[in-house]
Amino acid sequence: MTDPARHTPREDNSPTPEGVDSSSRVPSSSSVPSSSIGDDLGLGITVPGRRLIDAEGHRKVHPISPLVHAVSVFPALAGIAFAVGIQRINTLAGRLDDIIGMAWMPPIALAIVVFAVIAFLLSALVAALNYFQWRALSFWFDDDGDFRMQSGVLFRQQRRVQLSRIQTVDVTQPFAARLFSMAVVVIEVAGQDDSRVRLKYVTLDDAREIRREVLARSAGLSATTAEAPQSDIARVSGRHLAVSLALRMTTAGLLLLTVIIIVTSYLTGGWGAIGVAVVTGGIPLVLVVAEFIRYYGFTVAESPDGLRLRYGLLRTESRTVPPGRVQAIEYVEPLLWRRQRWTRIRVTIAGVGSESSGSGSQRSDTVLIPVSEMDAAQDIVSRVLPDLRASSITWVGAPRRAWWRSPIQWRNLAVGWDAHSFAIRRGRITRRTALVPHARTQSVRWTQGPWERFLDLASVHVDTTPGPVSVSGLHLDASATRTVAHLQAAAADRGRRTDTSLHWAAP
Amino acid sequence: MDTATAFTSDHEGDHWVPVSPRLVTARRIVLVTSLVPMTVIVLGVLTLLGVIAWVSVVIAVAALIGLLWGWWLIGRRVRSYAYCERGDDLLVSSGILFRRLVIVPYGRMQLVDVKAGPIDRALGVTTVQLHTAAATTDASIPGLEPQVAADLRDRLARLGETRSAGL
Repeated sequence: MTDPARHTPREDNSPTPEGVDSSSRVPSSSSVPSSSIGDDLGLGITVPGRRLIDAEGHRKVHPISPLVHAVSVFPALAGIAFAVGIQRINTLAGRLDDIIGMAWMPPIALAIVVFAVIAFLLSALVAALNYFQWRALSFWFDDDGDFRMQSGVLFRQQRRVQLSRIQTVDVTQPFAARLFSMAVVVIEVAGQDDSRVRLKYVTLDDAREIRREVLARSAGLSATTAEAPQSDIARVSGRHLAVSLALRMTTAGLLLLTVIIIVTSYLTGGWGAIGVAVVTGGIPLVLVVAEFIRYYGFTVAESPDGLRLRYGLLRTESRTVPPGRVQAIEYVEPLLWRRQRWTRIRVTIAGVGSESSGSGSQRSDTVLIPVSEMDAAQDIVSRVLPDLRASSITWVGAPRRAWWRSPIQWRNLAVGWDAHSFAIRRGRITRRTALVPHARTQSVRWTQGPWERFLDLASVHVDTTPGPVSVSGLHLDASATRTVAHLQAAAADRGRRTDTSLHWAAP
Repeated sequence: MDTATAFTSDHEGDHWVPVSPRLVTARRIVLVTSLVPMTVIVLGVLTLLGVIAWVSVVIAVAALIGLLWGWWLIGRRVRSYAYCERGDDLLVSSGILFRRLVIVPYGRMQLVDVKAGPIDRALGVTTVQLHTAAATTDASIPGLEPQVAADLRDRLARLGETRSAGL
């Protein structure tokens, strides 16, 4: 298949000066230019020193990483320095004026300059500390073909990533990194807590190259296999995204409330409630803008590794969703979207949603597409879960008496199933339809609260790996849910014996 | 399995095993040793602060009612625990007010924990907890005799191993 020498860290990567010419060196990008994620801000900063190799033959991240790191923390540090100093800015300005008073500069401006200098020095300190981290960090593929990363200045740490356990390999570009045409490679592994590996920072081309190699190796292919060809299958326009976000129920409700407050204030002439309007108008604005920036330019592309998602206005992210790792999916349809048959798709991917703190909470909200027409959405879903047929599902709705338990959503409460998957539907204003393949069912729970018991109702839950999709069939007929629970447990057991989707990459 | 047998096999055809009544004692000890000292401390502080006497009386009565209610509830709750080993899966049922039934296919079990606190150990009761890849599974069987628990764990581990697959 290949000669063995190709399995060891690639030797053609020596830090030659021609590294400056970045586009011609990457074997895959010339043939598949569309694989680029986002694009850098085009400042044209290209720094030599790509693909450094240390004495042991291990690869290193880019030498300007400490600088990128410093730039990325600068706004936060400046903000803190400013927040701390703002209360005392007048006294401080006066004192500064006494010491280094300059006629041509107002004291306040001088104080701001001082804060900026402090923030700059702190950033420089961060860069200096990060330099030692950079020196300690190296990564390589070991003799078994597994990915290894060594890091830590005081506490040395060596991490070995079993390639067969890799969930996704993402290339993200934080804003600071985009300024330098740099990127972060995040290797997501199935496991508890902090089991992901982050390579900060490498050039965009290097990042693609690393992703290509890791994915090729994890699929059991030769390390030099060219990047899988991909084709775009869906793209969310900025206008579509903005409109859909504004039409979401919480947003629309708050905006409506704002209008009502303003109108009543105008009519009654009492402007006392206008402060509330600022809040009710401000919250949706912030939410919409934040999500718009996050999902801007959302593109779904298909490649043999799985679906590639690219999105982000300031910070560009690229994620690969391997079809075999998708545990459950959910269609989210707010009331005002249903007329146009729009839907959002969220997925639970094994290992991705397990972290709930810090940047993890952002990632646990795994969106397959933020908004799409229903038909296009089903087309995307059929690529990650090919056997899923939403149309062939037999639904059983909640009985009429469920009104006493959930007067609003009872009409939409239902469970359903077919030969391949289990499904639930809930929510009246925002309708959610969740589907989980039988083969992905971890366990089945049947629960009944006191009020449900009084009404002879019960709920049935299908447990999957941690993630945003919860599969709970609520407030249905008690004996029917009991039957469903047992049937589903049996189907889960059967489903996984016949399941082949885990070996989706096998020839 | 057709619909009829799936339903009737629940609680009827299968062998449901209750947990040891000693769990009642263990839990009641925990209840008394936590509630009584807490009440005494609260009452002591109130007396020192010179709060009106009837406030203390109300608190003492509330604590007593809580104690009796908890005492009674523990008895019923423990009786509600039962588990059932079937051909392909394990069932755990529990709860009186909020009732639940958890069904875990053997092939889905990732690991089986056996744990016992100091009071549990003194009284000879042990908890067996099943974990799957889902965090929400929550299938634990408290109040097993240590030998029963160890046997169950070994049995489950064996079944899990022969049937296990990826996620």
